[in-house]
Amino acid sequence: MNCKELAYMLADYCDGSMDPRLREELDDHLSRCEPCMAFTKTFRTTCAETRKLREDIEYTIPPEVCERLQAFVRAAALKYPEKVREYRDQVERDRREKVAGLVGAAAAGKLSPATELVIESHCAACPGCRDYFDALRGTGAPKAGDTPEGIRPHVIALMQSLPPGEEFFLA
Amino acid sequence: MSAERWKDDEALLESLRKGAPGAVDELLRLYQGKIFNLAMSILKNESDAEEAAQDVFMTVIRKADTFQGNSAFYSWIYRICVNTCLMRLRGKRRNETVSIEEFMPVFTDEGMHASPMDDWSKEVERNALNEELGRMIRKYTEELSDKYRVVFVLSDVEGLSNEETAKILGLTVPAIKSRLHRARLYLREQLSRYLLEGKAG
Repeated sequence: MNCKELAYMLADYCDGSMDPRLREELDDHLSRCEPCMAFTKTFRTTCAETRKLREDIEYTIPPEVCERLQAFVRAAALKYPEKVREYRDQVERDRREKVAGLVGAAAAGKLSPATELVIESHCAACPGCRDYFDALRGTGAPKAGDTPEGIRPHVIALMQSLPPGEEFFLA
Repeated sequence: MSAERWKDDEALLESLRKGAPGAVDELLRLYQGKIFNLAMSILKNESDAEEAAQDVFMTVIRKADTFQGNSAFYSWIYRICVNTCLMRLRGKRRNETVSIEEFMPVFTDEGMHASPMDDWSKEVERNALNEELGRMIRKYTEELSDKYRVVFVLSDVEGLSNEETAKILGLTVPAIKSRLHRARLYLREQLSRYLLEGKAG
């Protein structure tokens, strides 16, 4: 073992994880090499001084920081699930209203031409929706909130494919 | 990490997931000191550390649901903290970092020490240098680049095992050991120069 190898093996040597045979070799080198002895001793001292620092560190958090942190996290944690639920509920309500509005306009024959066109082209490819809208036309008004589950997502997609701001029924 | 700590963390995670009353308070009670101090060690600035701690706890609360549980809870939180702090550091230029290479021991082609070695270990033991030395260690640690500093902080300051540090940083144990050793070699050299300078002056 030379001095360079020794320097890079010191970590294992100091934490006691070194193979006993290597340790013997290292000890042997140390006993004959003054620079390495100095190097090893100062390395150990460095590690020991660092450990002392760790003992000095307390898990302290300044009281005013602690107070602000707790207030912030508590408030945000309370608001967070509420906010998400509120948002999701609102989106769901808006969608239901829009779907009901479109279905109502279709039943009353009051769809805008653009919407009519979008529905027509969709129905050409989707038998489920074709049957539904065929049955709807001319009935006057559908029963509230009974858009079938299989149709609803299609209607939502249709509405989203309309240009923004496009009203889907005639005034 | 003790078995009791494990059980505490499991229960805490479960109550966070359920949104049980008091879960957030318990989370803060167990971790606010550790997280704030870890953030301080990395960021070196109280208001940055405070904001980072806020972010960390919000992330923990938001993601408690999706935490897979294939690592320990505390190491998950530490990892979030380290990542949050590193993201913050990225936005800032740290111009005071030194090149660790300049402080590695120098050897001849035959692998012998190329410069004379001074044994100052006895002096440190004899003299009441402790406070001053502690201050210098802190200063030199701060000058390390993030790559070494974070490993050094987790291992030697926080006292985590190499395995724990590896998990938190997503690195291998040999990589942690190597960085840690280089950081210690660097510190030894810095302290040598500091003490020798003191002697000369």
